[in-house]
Amino acid sequence: MAAPALKALLGWSGLAPGFLRTVSPLLGQTQVRWSRYGAEFRDPLIDKEHYRKSMAELTEEEKYDQELKKTQLIKAAPATKTSSVFADPVISKFTNMMMKGGNKVLARSLMNQTLESVKRKQFEKYHAASGEEQATIERNPYTIFRQALKNCEPVIGLVPILRGGHFYQVPVPLADRRRRFLAMKWMITECRKNKHRRTLMPEKLSHELLQAFHNQGPVIKRKHEMHKMAEANRALAHYRWW
Amino acid sequence: MAAPCVSCGGTLSYRFFLVGRVSLARRQGLWQTAAAGLQTGARSQILRLIHTTVVMTKKSVPASRRETYTEDFIKKQIEEFNIGKRHLANMMGEDPETFTQEDIDRAIVYLFPSGLFEKRARPIMKHPEQIFPKQRAIQWGEDGRPFHFLFYTGKQSYYSLMHEVYGKLLQIEKRKDLLPEKREMKDLIGSRWLIKEELEEMLVEKLSDQDYMQFIRLLEKLLTLQCEPAEEEFVHKFRRSVAIQSKKQLIEPVQYDEQGRAFSASEGKRKTAKAEALVYEHGSGRITVNGADYLLYFPITQDREQLMFPFHFLDRLGKHDVTCTVSGGGRSAQAGAIRLAMAKALCSFVTEDEVEWMRQAGLLTTDPRVRERKKPGQEGARRKFTWKKR
Repeated sequence: MAAPALKALLGWSGLAPGFLRTVSPLLGQTQVRWSRYGAEFRDPLIDKEHYRKSMAELTEEEKYDQELKKTQLIKAAPATKTSSVFADPVISKFTNMMMKGGNKVLARSLMNQTLESVKRKQFEKYHAASGEEQATIERNPYTIFRQALKNCEPVIGLVPILRGGHFYQVPVPLADRRRRFLAMKWMITECRKNKHRRTLMPEKLSHELLQAFHNQGPVIKRKHEMHKMAEANRALAHYRWW
Repeated sequence: MAAPCVSCGGTLSYRFFLVGRVSLARRQGLWQTAAAGLQTGARSQILRLIHTTVVMTKKSVPASRRETYTEDFIKKQIEEFNIGKRHLANMMGEDPETFTQEDIDRAIVYLFPSGLFEKRARPIMKHPEQIFPKQRAIQWGEDGRPFHFLFYTGKQSYYSLMHEVYGKLLQIEKRKDLLPEKREMKDLIGSRWLIKEELEEMLVEKLSDQDYMQFIRLLEKLLTLQCEPAEEEFVHKFRRSVAIQSKKQLIEPVQYDEQGRAFSASEGKRKTAKAEALVYEHGSGRITVNGADYLLYFPITQDREQLMFPFHFLDRLGKHDVTCTVSGGGRSAQAGAIRLAMAKALCSFVTEDEVEWMRQAGLLTTDPRVRERKKPGQEGARRKFTWKKR
């Protein structure tokens, strides 16, 4: 209860750019980045169910958080986020990573075409299969997408560490967000590089996603190679200090 | 707290200018000596060499010492301020007795219009307490002995305060052993602790961050224990109230058009786009933008999702009609501007709780992000020119 009291800091005028060379009292660290929002602005929470909960269902802590939020300034919701049921954070992140030169329209349409093509392929398989197999075929493109990316995530990664003038590749456990990023990055690089000149991105991407969903294909292979390298460099693990 | 970039640039250029002047002066000086040497070379046995340099040393900037204002000086300033305030009230034709600081500010802005961008450089007339920094009187008597027993710590007010607070804590702990009672948590949400700058102002002393944190920790410990009303008051002296943000939201009044339909109008903006939306209370979910249907005006799905966002969030998708006008910006900025305008207009038809939910979802904040300017010496706002080794 003591710590949250420190969080509520002075509310500066909201439109002053939060340029700081100040020391945060909690961490004793200096911040150098600046943003148009002041330091006291919090990120918005866009979840309808969260707000519809009645008072009886909330725990003590949630009630306290709710009261605290009433005194905090909130940033504007970004243009890519909505409360729509079709908004998926994983899909949005992947679309942004696929985007080139700020062409979100093209990236989004490619994403939609990919999901459509995945669905079509699965439906073809479904109609061609017999009764028992039909139960095992997954047709929802969103679950396939999520599962494929999860299968591609490496568990351990390599980090170059400088020791005695040489860079050694040291095996290091990866944070969740780094793993998700690597999975998406490998998928996109794979689909851009190793394909025939005439194949379109949705076609190639849907093919790779389905392969990854079944734990096959070049992206999964790359993940296994990363694991093997980490295993080979096991002796260097002592170079890690964190 | 916030050091604006402008001043940084200013000091840099000043230093550069100073250096330039110095080098120029030294060169001049050298020429002078050389010329003198040439002239007197022939008659060096009779006349001595005269060294004259125009500018010998670099212009010394006097060390800025804290100017000390005596109490009499401050008192005189306050008297002058009060008399000046009355004169100003007379000049503006107002009653001198009820002339507040806001009236003074308005009068000064009217009498001395300034085109300067920096607000702090414009003419001001404020109470001397706000202009002259708070200073401490001399801390020692005629015999040189300091008045306060903690003077030699260097931070006497801070340490005496800590001493006081710790004393109170010990007292409470002694009492706790005698009468153990249950304690209810106070409502800490409506207020916050003093920040370091405010504490420094209060004590008229410089503090380090660790000092400040230690002080806050002691006060929090005091709060967790049970204390008497006098002690509560003492702790609350170090708390400032925090405004409840939702109350600041301006809710537009409901208006009625010629047919008697209820509607609400409001504006929104995003980057350079400005939008005005009229949200009708009863409708079928039609949105008209600049005379055209929204499906034609916004062919991109993302923009239409943004338009639908406020309504979908409040489960009022097909229940309102909207007419809006928008200008400026690009397609995404226009969609964002309309979204803000619609959300603000919806506030008039919706409960207070729902307004607070919208605010927490980020629908009622104007996005302050605008295009960052290009800087000289760089290709863009952030991108630098290609680095070339030679």
